[in-house]
Amino acid sequence: MASTRMTVTHMVPTPLEAGTVFKTGDYTMSDASVLQAELKDRAGKGAARATRRAGRVPCVVYGAKKAPVLISIDPRDVMKGLHAGTFFSTVYDVEITGEKTERVLPRDVQFHPISDAPQHVDFLRVSAATQVTVDVACNFMNAEESVGLKRGGVLNVVRHTIEFMCAVDSIPQSIDIDLSSFDIGDSIHYSAVSVPEGVMPTITDRDFTIATIAAPSVAEETAVAEGEEGVEIEGAEGEGDTEE
Amino acid sequence: MAKGGTTLNFGAYGLKAVTTGRITARQIEAARRAITRHMRRAGKVWIRVFPDVPVSGKPAEVRMGKGKGAPEYWMCRIKPGRIMFELDGVDADIAKRAFELASAKLPVNTRFIQRFGG
Repeated sequence: MASTRMTVTHMVPTPLEAGTVFKTGDYTMSDASVLQAELKDRAGKGAARATRRAGRVPCVVYGAKKAPVLISIDPRDVMKGLHAGTFFSTVYDVEITGEKTERVLPRDVQFHPISDAPQHVDFLRVSAATQVTVDVACNFMNAEESVGLKRGGVLNVVRHTIEFMCAVDSIPQSIDIDLSSFDIGDSIHYSAVSVPEGVMPTITDRDFTIATIAAPSVAEETAVAEGEEGVEIEGAEGEGDTEE
Repeated sequence: MAKGGTTLNFGAYGLKAVTTGRITARQIEAARRAITRHMRRAGKVWIRVFPDVPVSGKPAEVRMGKGKGAPEYWMCRIKPGRIMFELDGVDADIAKRAFELASAKLPVNTRFIQRFGG
């Protein structure tokens, strides 16, 4: 497949860019990145914990009707991909020391509940023709020029990602959504988004909502809170029960 | 550790508990007010915890016995990793400061978390 070269010069996050994919520099959609991995000889929680103690992340490579392979990778590689926001839509070449290279797509990352450090990564073996279901991040653009946001509206992101079914080589890095023409009260539906050829959403029965531009609810709440401050505390928390 | 509610589900920023504790309805409301006042006219707040546990107590200078005390307040139990508040539609700096102010109202240690990409 012909690769599409894009240059993204990104920018410091601005207020209304929730869900923005922060990318820098040149990248090619079909370029496979490289991950250095080590083979892991044992399965199970004991071996996985030993791997984590050694400062690495246990992973599994499965799919393509072959036996699963247990590997470990550097957590910094995972975090780099996650921070870029394109980890789950990027095809990686995993170079396993002493073994062959596997072409994989990250399918799942488990995080530590407190530290949010990656605990385990699942990779799916893929070929160019493999059809996958993948979540692609939404990139909300032109927030500064949006009519509704300039009037004080709030971008309420309903879907931070959109699930697509497509060939591995056609996975879009992100879905760009132009906010400039939307006003307060408007909804941004899937029909307003342009997606590359050969990419189909998994939701086909309706024109689903991606985001809405809502009136600032906080302003209304603050007005209420300032007007009847004492009443709100007593009414809200079921404190009437104390009188029983 | 918390079994659920450990990832951002609604907003771009979150306040995560890193210690255990009991949060009362008053503390949740105080934290919510601190957040909304700092954000002024922007943003959206989600509260991911609900005080559904009644706590009873006996009045002062009352002898033991004569039955259980009346419910005094409502609280929720918090375990480390639980996301208590989420925010969206504001700058990261504003969200961070709003959560700092909210954290001062809560009896648990907290951490600011942020969504990357989708």
